[in-house]
Amino acid sequence: MEKVHKPKKVFVQGPISPDFVSKSIASHQSKTDIGAHAIFLGQIRADQKPDGTVTGIEYSAYEDMAENAFHEIREAAFAKYELSCLHIYHSLGIVPTGEISLFVFVSSPHRRAAFEASEYIVEEIKANVPIFGKELVGEGNYVWKENK
Amino acid sequence: MSIQVTYYGMLAEITGQANEVWNADKSLTVGEFRELILVKYPALRDKKFKVAVDQKIAQDYVFIDHASEIALLPPFAGG
Repeated sequence: MEKVHKPKKVFVQGPISPDFVSKSIASHQSKTDIGAHAIFLGQIRADQKPDGTVTGIEYSAYEDMAENAFHEIREAAFAKYELSCLHIYHSLGIVPTGEISLFVFVSSPHRRAAFEASEYIVEEIKANVPIFGKELVGEGNYVWKENK
Repeated sequence: MSIQVTYYGMLAEITGQANEVWNADKSLTVGEFRELILVKYPALRDKKFKVAVDQKIAQDYVFIDHASEIALLPPFAGG
């Protein structure tokens, strides 16, 4: 029988802390069918803009649609790859440069599925989830970000 | 027909509001709705945006007759 994966809460307010990431890893030690984890962390870059250096990104989202889009990405990833477990967290609000705004945590019996699924999931998030970002620049300026 | 329209990100800045109710005197496709939006807010003409009807990205030929919710979405920036 196909496993049913309930929609999970993805959004967190502000940056995702390294402590949260390490606790997530620890909480998988009891799942002994897992042989490989792949972790992707998106970090805010201090890009140079005409008005100065980026100091952070302020994220907002069409939250209901975004939660559904995350759920569809999860379902597609489970259908496509041999995965034991999959967690996605994304920030809302301000995330300063150098801090983490996206945490994708993929677990599988074997490495290949973990590597491939993590790349697939990150690309899907960037292309298909209605999240918007203001790159905060210098003193009170900003530029709207657009994924390439 | 009245439609709840929500603007996100930079689009809310351009329209000056996060949401409003539109009254249309006939049924509309997404493409026709897009034209009306551009007439009302000419500053949107040089902006890229997608239209979501009831939380699904919709092509221009889709009818929005029974939609409860329309959203204008600027380019995505997640990750």
